[in-house]
Amino acid sequence: MNKFIRVDMTTMKVTTDEVPDKYVGLGGRALTSNFVADEVKPTCHPLGKNNKIIFAPGLLSGTTAANSGRISVGAKSPLTGGIKESNSGGSFSQKMAKLGIKALVIEGMPEGDKFYIVKIDINGVTIEEAPTEILGGCGNYKAIEVLSAKYGEKVGIALAGPAGEYRLPAANISFKDPEGNIRSAGRGGLGAVMGSKKIKALVIDETGAGAVPIADPEKFKEAAKVFSKALLDHPVSGQGLAAYGTDVLINILNEAGGLPAKNFTTGRIDWNDNISGETMNATIQERGGDGKISHGCHQGCVMRCSQWYADKNGKYITSGFEYETIWGLGANACIKDLDAIAYIDREMDDIGIDSIETAVAVATAMEGGLLPWGDGEAVLAAVKEIAVPTPLGRLLGSGTGAVGNACGLFRVPVVKNQAIPAYDPRNIKGIGLTYATTPMGADHTSGYCIANNILSIGGFIDPLKKEGQVDISRFLQIGTASIDSTGMCLFVWFGIADNPPAIQALVDMINAQYGLSLTIQDAVVDLGKAVLKAERGFNKAAGFTNEHDRLPEFFEYEPCAPHNLVWDFTPEEIDEVFNF
Amino acid sequence: MSEQSKKTIEVRGFMHLDAAFRKKGPIPFIMELEEPITGAELANKLEIPWDEVEVIFINGLTYALDHEVHPGDRVAFLPPGCPGPYRLALGFYSKNQNNEANFKIKKKD
Ligand code: SF4
Repeated sequence: MNKFIRVDMTTMKVTTDEVPDKYVGLGGRALTSNFVADEVKPTCHPLGKNNKIIFAPGLLSGTTAANSGRISVGAKSPLTGGIKESNSGGSFSQKMAKLGIKALVIEGMPEGDKFYIVKIDINGVTIEEAPTEILGGCGNYKAIEVLSAKYGEKVGIALAGPAGEYRLPAANISFKDPEGNIRSAGRGGLGAVMGSKKIKALVIDETGAGAVPIADPEKFKEAAKVFSKALLDHPVSGQGLAAYGTDVLINILNEAGGLPAKNFTTGRIDWNDNISGETMNATIQERGGDGKISHGCHQGCVMRCSQWYADKNGKYITSGFEYETIWGLGANACIKDLDAIAYIDREMDDIGIDSIETAVAVATAMEGGLLPWGDGEAVLAAVKEIAVPTPLGRLLGSGTGAVGNACGLFRVPVVKNQAIPAYDPRNIKGIGLTYATTPMGADHTSGYCIANNILSIGGFIDPLKKEGQVDISRFLQIGTASIDSTGMCLFVWFGIADNPPAIQALVDMINAQYGLSLTIQDAVVDLGKAVLKAERGFNKAAGFTNEHDRLPEFFEYEPCAPHNLVWDFTPEEIDEVFNF
Repeated sequence: MSEQSKKTIEVRGFMHLDAAFRKKGPIPFIMELEEPITGAELANKLEIPWDEVEVIFINGLTYALDHEVHPGDRVAFLPPGCPGPYRLALGFYSKNQNNEANFKIKKKD
């Protein structure tokens, strides 16, 4: 991957350069975050001409390595005001890598109201006017159909949906998956940044491109084999996720008393059976038709945590039906019907809005009296208003913090203005530290697994106690930052975290592809630390201080059933997480 | 938290054990229990193989399979397969270091 492409929307000029030296060894989040820290003015308005948005495949994307097809997108976030990396499946990343594109940057801003398509293929990059039929509220499913018909069924697409066109702070970027359905770079409002630059879609066609070059193909093949076998042999990544999806967590978190419900007023519900992964699995099997229990969000995924959820007649409703969305609508907003949740999930994908932010905003709106608790139909209608957009639609699309302000509430579950997902920090303390301190704003994926030292620290962890939690949160964040840089789906860590030869195989693949000799320390620990430091540096320059690394105050004085605990980390303890 | 007056326990199973419990009747399964027993003995009574249990929940807290269950308790059996960071955050790893199923890779046949 030797091309670094810049699309300047002010001048409508495209430049293709060699990759600058300092970015040669970076991919995915390491590249997007370093780039944003280097080039974006930290105090710029996220929707103004000085913000830049960068798309980058991971280091291993485009190769035969299992689960390596994730794409990272970076910019200053209109939701948090800080740095953002959001990643997604779909086919875009692998196509970029095959075309030898290390990064695509969009900068500047055009005059006027026209929207554009940026088309990328073997001959280069062109900017065209967007077809009017996909503008002004057209859903993403239809837009993908129109663009695929125009540019070819196999093209990859990154879309700003209606929410992105309207520059709403919770707008996501939607990626076409191998079947023409939707995956999302969900969090932080990057779709609004795309919309502000008047880009409706990026379309990529890798026809004519060869395979990604590998310096040592034999060594690569060997390491790739060890790696994918490790994933398939593991009870979590090989069996648990594929059968029940991430929604397997509903029953587990509910039992542990860490499933936030009714806008974070309790940690356990009694309608968990209606929305659990076990019920989803049984329902999909029973209904047949289009439904599939497991499905990969990109080619080469061997863990297949996604699924196709079908209606009573077996007709496809939605895919990638994730725990966090089902939790947000089902437990937190008390919608007790999985079908109702599926239709809302589909609508959110179609509008291009972050399903976590919006689900939490919906529950906050319920507490504020804007919507009736648990009413799936009312929520579906309100979410549809985002595509119009009505004032209520704009409010929901502006995220949980905005809804909380508009309703005059104090119980507003956000950190750095981003909604807290699916795990209650009072009863699962380690996750609270990650919400508080990650440079991304409350984000559960910022704290996924790393290597051996975790296992020794893991020996003390009691979810209700403080011991060991600071160390765990720190190591998890470092590990996550490095995985996000490889193009690997984070879930690979479920399968390799406790298997040192498999971690070595991951590093060996990078070495074999690029002719390097990195160690686990270089490729995982040092890289992860450097990424976090660059991100934190950007946020500091944008005006963030340690005082922004705090959970909302209500967690300190509202005990959470069934364990009836409060959030009790001191500011000094929280600040230790980033002491490295 | 066990209520001495009660002579029953509430039992749930997750993942594939959920379907197995449903065959016994409505969820949660209510079972008579006069005297405390270990989770392992309870698993035997319910015909759940030990290697299909990573941890048990008793009243919302995670324990190894040999922990004691008392009349009045709410119990759940969890097979291996809960995604990684959560098994750490929820204390599966720390509570259960001697169990074969804990964080160990089980080869597929
Ligand atoms: S495990 Fe899930 S999220 Fe990861 S690559 Fe596969 S389908 Fe996508």
